[in-house]
Amino acid sequence: MLGSFAATILPIVVSSESAVVDVPVAQATDAFGWAALILWLPALSTVLCGLCAVMKVKSKLPGWITVGLLGTSFLLTLALFFSYEYENPVIIHALQWLNISWNGEGETVQFIANFALYVDSLTLLWMLFVTGLGTLIALYATEYMEVDVGKGYTRFFAGISVFLFAMSALVLGDNLVMLYLGWEGVGFASYWLIGYYYKKPSAVAAAKKAFIVNRIGDFGLALGIYFIWHNFGTVEYRVLFEALNAGGYSTETAGWSVRAIPYLLMLGAFGKSAQLPLYVWLPDAMEGPTPVSALIHAATMVTAGVYLIARMYPVMLLDEYALPIVAWIGGLTALLAATIGMAQYDIKRIFAYSTISQLGYMFLGLGVLTSFGAAYHVFTHAFFKAVLFLTAGAVMHGFAGQLDLRKVSGLRHMPGWRIVSWTMFYGCLCLAGFPLITNGFYSKDEIIAQAFITPGFGFVALGVIGLITALFTAYYAFRVWFRVCAGPVHFEPGDDHHNGEHGGGEFHPHAPRLVINLVLVVITIGAIASIFLGDWVLRGVGDSTAVYPSPHAEGDGFWANPHRWMPWVASAAGIGGILLAWYFHLANRSAAERMKNALLANGLTRWLPTAMENKWYVDELYHATVRAPLWILGHFLNLFDRYVVDMFLVDGIAKLPRALARTFQPLQNGILQSYAVSMAGGLALVAVLVVLMPQFVEWVRSVMGGAG
Amino acid sequence: MADKLWFLIPEIWLFVGVVVVSVMGLSRRKMFRDLLPLVVCVFLVGAFIITPLLYSEQRISAAGLLMPMLGKYVKMLVCAIGVILTMLSVGLIDRDLEASMSAGRTRFDPIRVNRGEYFSFFMLSIIGVMLVCNANDLIWLFLALELTSLPTYIMVAISRPSRKAQEAAVKYFFLGAMSAAMFLYGFALLYGATGEIELTKLRDVFAAQAAAGGLNRVAIVGLILTVMGISFKMAVVPMHFYAADVYEGAASPVTAFLAFVPKTAGAVALILILSTVGWSGHYGNGAHGLPREILTALWIMAVLTMTLGNIGALLQRSAKRMLAYSSIAHSGYILIGLIAGPPHGLNAVLFYLLAYGVMNTAAFAVLASFERKGEEIESLADLAGLRHRYPVMAVAMALAAGSLIGFPPLLGFAGKLYLFIAGVDAGHIALIVIAGVNSAISAFYYLWLVGLPILAQSTPQSETVVARPVVWPRVAAIVTAIGVVILPLFAQSLLKASQAVTVERETTALDVTVAPDQPEQPTSP
Repeated sequence: MLGSFAATILPIVVSSESAVVDVPVAQATDAFGWAALILWLPALSTVLCGLCAVMKVKSKLPGWITVGLLGTSFLLTLALFFSYEYENPVIIHALQWLNISWNGEGETVQFIANFALYVDSLTLLWMLFVTGLGTLIALYATEYMEVDVGKGYTRFFAGISVFLFAMSALVLGDNLVMLYLGWEGVGFASYWLIGYYYKKPSAVAAAKKAFIVNRIGDFGLALGIYFIWHNFGTVEYRVLFEALNAGGYSTETAGWSVRAIPYLLMLGAFGKSAQLPLYVWLPDAMEGPTPVSALIHAATMVTAGVYLIARMYPVMLLDEYALPIVAWIGGLTALLAATIGMAQYDIKRIFAYSTISQLGYMFLGLGVLTSFGAAYHVFTHAFFKAVLFLTAGAVMHGFAGQLDLRKVSGLRHMPGWRIVSWTMFYGCLCLAGFPLITNGFYSKDEIIAQAFITPGFGFVALGVIGLITALFTAYYAFRVWFRVCAGPVHFEPGDDHHNGEHGGGEFHPHAPRLVINLVLVVITIGAIASIFLGDWVLRGVGDSTAVYPSPHAEGDGFWANPHRWMPWVASAAGIGGILLAWYFHLANRSAAERMKNALLANGLTRWLPTAMENKWYVDELYHATVRAPLWILGHFLNLFDRYVVDMFLVDGIAKLPRALARTFQPLQNGILQSYAVSMAGGLALVAVLVVLMPQFVEWVRSVMGGAG
Repeated sequence: MADKLWFLIPEIWLFVGVVVVSVMGLSRRKMFRDLLPLVVCVFLVGAFIITPLLYSEQRISAAGLLMPMLGKYVKMLVCAIGVILTMLSVGLIDRDLEASMSAGRTRFDPIRVNRGEYFSFFMLSIIGVMLVCNANDLIWLFLALELTSLPTYIMVAISRPSRKAQEAAVKYFFLGAMSAAMFLYGFALLYGATGEIELTKLRDVFAAQAAAGGLNRVAIVGLILTVMGISFKMAVVPMHFYAADVYEGAASPVTAFLAFVPKTAGAVALILILSTVGWSGHYGNGAHGLPREILTALWIMAVLTMTLGNIGALLQRSAKRMLAYSSIAHSGYILIGLIAGPPHGLNAVLFYLLAYGVMNTAAFAVLASFERKGEEIESLADLAGLRHRYPVMAVAMALAAGSLIGFPPLLGFAGKLYLFIAGVDAGHIALIVIAGVNSAISAFYYLWLVGLPILAQSTPQSETVVARPVVWPRVAAIVTAIGVVILPLFAQSLLKASQAVTVERETTALDVTVAPDQPEQPTSP
């Protein structure tokens, strides 16, 4: 473990300081043909779930089908992981998809986008936790969703399967069209599953919000892909990176449509990964069932934006301001979300804000040129955030939907809740970045330390922001744990009495059973194991498209090298936050209320707790600046449409053909002689007009336009 | 001549079928009479299989036809659609008579049974279309066209025991005879203007005339008479008057037949006739094309056909009458391809014939699947709420109508797309704009066929509608509806199949070469 520790905190030595892009060249291979199954098995699972829906299956069958097929998909990913050697990326052809060619200006233009897998270590890293966590969370959901067995259960697992197919396509695809297919697919699956409780208006609204906010980002991505196609004539990674390797695209000479690409891709990434200013959908997305929050909105889908930037790293270098902007957006999002998370009471919402905040760290890492730190943090975060959400889900499940941290206390003293309490404890430690024994500590330090090293606009300030955020993070993580798991035993059930057993008498929380506990333990073990994978990630990222030489520190003294002092400082921040949380939320619970009241009583500071609790009024701001004007415009256009377009134009035009029809109807009178006369007359008319009247022919030809 | 005979093997084979069927239809045993549709299908499938085997390079070059490959595509197409149309006709003819014979109320009387005749004429008409493809002179073309039409007059008359059918048959016969007179007169003028009746020689003479300063006036009048007379088969304005009455009067399976088989014959005949004058830019020396008079006439006819067909359909409350008008409108779309000319325009026409054959047959198959008290349904209102009792049929109707609108990604969309692209390529922007507006108008009435079966509630009237006892029309509806969805996936290869078709043989008399290089088509995935 210590070896790994040393390797991850030492400065990353790379061969060259130059900014020349040198992406490993991908090679097509015929081996690994079976790897395409990783992609097809979730699709098969969707089809089978659909069949279950048609056959109205009333058992847990769809759940087990999904778990089985996803598990197989995970095993295949593992097999690919062990058989892939660190060399160049390989391309595995699965299916010919789009291959269109047409005559362009003087040459044949070809548009190729196949179903093919682009496998390098970045792909493997993502696929390992996507399929691995996907399987485990589906397994968890077989128990969690059991009250809905029947229609809802099938719908749920069909959604999970669609999601995993789309996510696999996104990550594995060897071209941007397949990435886009997956990108939209995961968005659709996310909409499907957030709106799972479609009878609840808030769930429907949340699903809509997620979808619409994501559309803004998707617009950027789609336009970015178009510009890539326009400038480089390809959407295949291999050809694209070869073109970039070959040079000719420096930040000085590139045209505007090349320089716009990084920003457009960034917009897509910020939408999907919930960054400023498009993060507002993610907290609301917690309306979905908890396994969905854990899988899609914490561990996997939201990292798609990070994947996009990492995969397109060489493209992001096409404009020199792109990555610093990514860094600043990431840093600011991390801080903002952490401050909101400190003042929330709903456990899932706190974790949602922590997800936004941690994603901010990942973008910060990408922006300050440690793609390794970002990728590693994605990997570690996936595990501990899954643990946290799944424990929150267990609490929600057991206390009839109760998620208010003020209303449940002393969980670890209750029978049957020990595994939940301690796995949550470990998850919180990881989130807080507790030294040495948690994976979050290594990955987060890497990012913050690099912020102090890489020269760039205000990157040192970003490092400081990262440290402050780390303190806040530790505080809000343990605020949850000390409130919910520690302290005196006390609980109030939520209002979600879906089980008949709670109908009448006193409420008894029902502790999670075997499957949920098993999944929690396995993921926790995964989180511990990921500590040791740092070396692999470090080497792997170097072989992938995200390779870029991170600058390293100038000196090697303790204070000269942030990678040396960062573990100590970050540990201090983390432990400090935990101690604060311990004081306010375990040792002296009333102190927190007292402090809040004191702040509220003082006119000068009143804004702080209010604004934090109200999420800095960002939703309200968006409402006033975007939604309200659009709403007013919409109503104006509605009136315009109803009275001008509809009444006048549409109805008017629609009446025209009918009026014409009535005019010609008398001709169709059913009398044979009149038909014969009309036919002969028509023939005569045409013959006379075109043969004897050249003026008429000229007139028609002028109407016909430029035709020969 | 002997080489030409090779290409007639499918027709000869089908003619054997005609004989077999007409004899079997007179059998006293009900079983034999009931087997008739199966026998027809066997012969059609046989012709479908034989046809592609005959087209070898050597025979094609020896046959001396104007467009030698045309037959391969068109014959296979009509045989395939013919099988579907046969399914629709199962149990249609002699229904009451057969029932009363089974019940023992009536004795078998060879004078009164019509089933054998019906299927014989059915096959004869199909033979007619196939012969049109082989035509290399005006007389053959005339005979083939009339062989296509004459049986259909009788089919309309015997399709159902109702005076409406007989009225329709009489109207159809008289107006058909008149149109035949028109194009026969046109043929006579063409002969008078050129002294030739062979299409290949006609072409050479026309090329010479065009090079010498324009076509003979007599030839132009002849062409106009010919084109307008033949366009009766396609129900093109102003030769469209019969369509609504005849389509409504005939039984639905026969209507489906009328909307496809004579239309295909007309389109193929027009392709052949227009090829003799050629399209602008198609011949090597570029100067000749459709004479401006012919182009103008076609343009006016296309615009009027689309527009009058669509607005005529707007007011209809009878589903069959509506589809009759829509059939007129589709002929207008086909004219776009004829105006655009080779290679894309003609390919698009041939592809559209396939698309229209499938989707239109699907719509009629749904109508033919239902009845009320033994009478077939006609009114749109009879379809209301079909989904509740016959969900598959409702979906089939919706798919057929969606495809007729040209709704992506259904078959009709691909067909219209190719036609419109060909039109734009040829520079006929105004025509395409008019066609686009017409497509929008057509959505208005086609959506009744989507909305009524799927969205509307059943009414007391529509609840009395039941499925016909024979299952085959429903099978045909399902097969064609699946085709509407599946075939677009193969649109590229089907289009390729139609591409090879319109290549003309090189002319011999003059040193005018056919532009052989077809632009690169998108390769199919």
